Amino acid sequence: MHDTEYYTARCSRFLNAQPHMRKLGIRLIKADRNKVTLVLPVQPQLISEVLDTYLHGGVLTTLVDAASSVSTLCALDQFELCPTLDLRIDHMRSPVQSQPLYVAAECYRVTRSVLFTRASVYQDDPARPLAYAIATFMRPEGGATDSAFRAMIEGVSDAETA
Amino acid sequence: MQKLLELVKQAHACGDYQPLVDLIPYARVLGVQCECYGEEIIFRLPANADNIGNPTIPAIHGGVIASFMELTALFQLTLQLPQPGLAKIIDFSLDYMRAGLDRDTFAICHISRQGRRVGNCSVLAWQERKSRPIAQARAHFLLDNGNPAEIDINPLKS
Repeated sequence: MHDTEYYTARCSRFLNAQPHMRKLGIRLIKADRNKVTLVLPVQPQLISEVLDTYLHGGVLTTLVDAASSVSTLCALDQFELCPTLDLRIDHMRSPVQSQPLYVAAECYRVTRSVLFTRASVYQDDPARPLAYAIATFMRPEGGATDSAFRAMIEGVSDAETA
Repeated sequence: MQKLLELVKQAHACGDYQPLVDLIPYARVLGVQCECYGEEIIFRLPANADNIGNPTIPAIHGGVIASFMELTALFQLTLQLPQPGLAKIIDFSLDYMRAGLDRDTFAICHISRQGRRVGNCSVLAWQERKSRPIAQARAHFLLDNGNPAEIDINPLKS
């Protein structure tokens, strides 16, 4: 069991290690035991000049996948790189492109092999979600996570990993 | 004023689907391409350093694969069914089967049922062999059957 500060640092390092997360500027807002909140900021590269109501073709999916995956970091004592097994998203309303997209994800069950997560996406009001998602992740079998990468995410100093 | 329908017609006529793909900003960010072989349309996601999620393998971000497949279904619907506007996604369900390595990825969409309001799609994504898919997906889309909010794609011409 770790504290909020520890999870925040671990999740931020994990996000920053992923080129596609840097490309989209997806940031961690909050991390707690089992739970995270991420944001996708408004950005010119995602704004369509011709479609004003339906912009996030697919990008919402990327955000949800990212948040679900990051939430697993807050449910495990030690960092494990868990591949996604299944992802399911229900879209209830279209996002507007003038506001950032937020996602709150929770890893609500951890078993020996599988992690279960749920997430909701919103813009102005968490009580009016745009989408719900559930996902499952596989835990790697003993030692499958690259040890240097693990050390980096865990925040072991460079001197120790070198 | 040029409408989506005309853009689709134009794409079919000249075989250049890129203007249609570029309608969605995120498709452009990912680098989605579209190639037509007779009746079959294959979507291609070229290897791109910005699409990496797992730097250790390295592997494409899972969300990128999912979004690419969702966009594949959206474009297939747009190209196959004449509609005045883009279809809206209702739900999306994805099985990841293998890691998507840092190389070109392909996807194909089959529309298994087309109703008056809803289209049922299944999408397959692979890298070197179609018989070894990296992911499969199912999606439902709400079709646009001509409500007043038609999309004006005129600015694309400027």
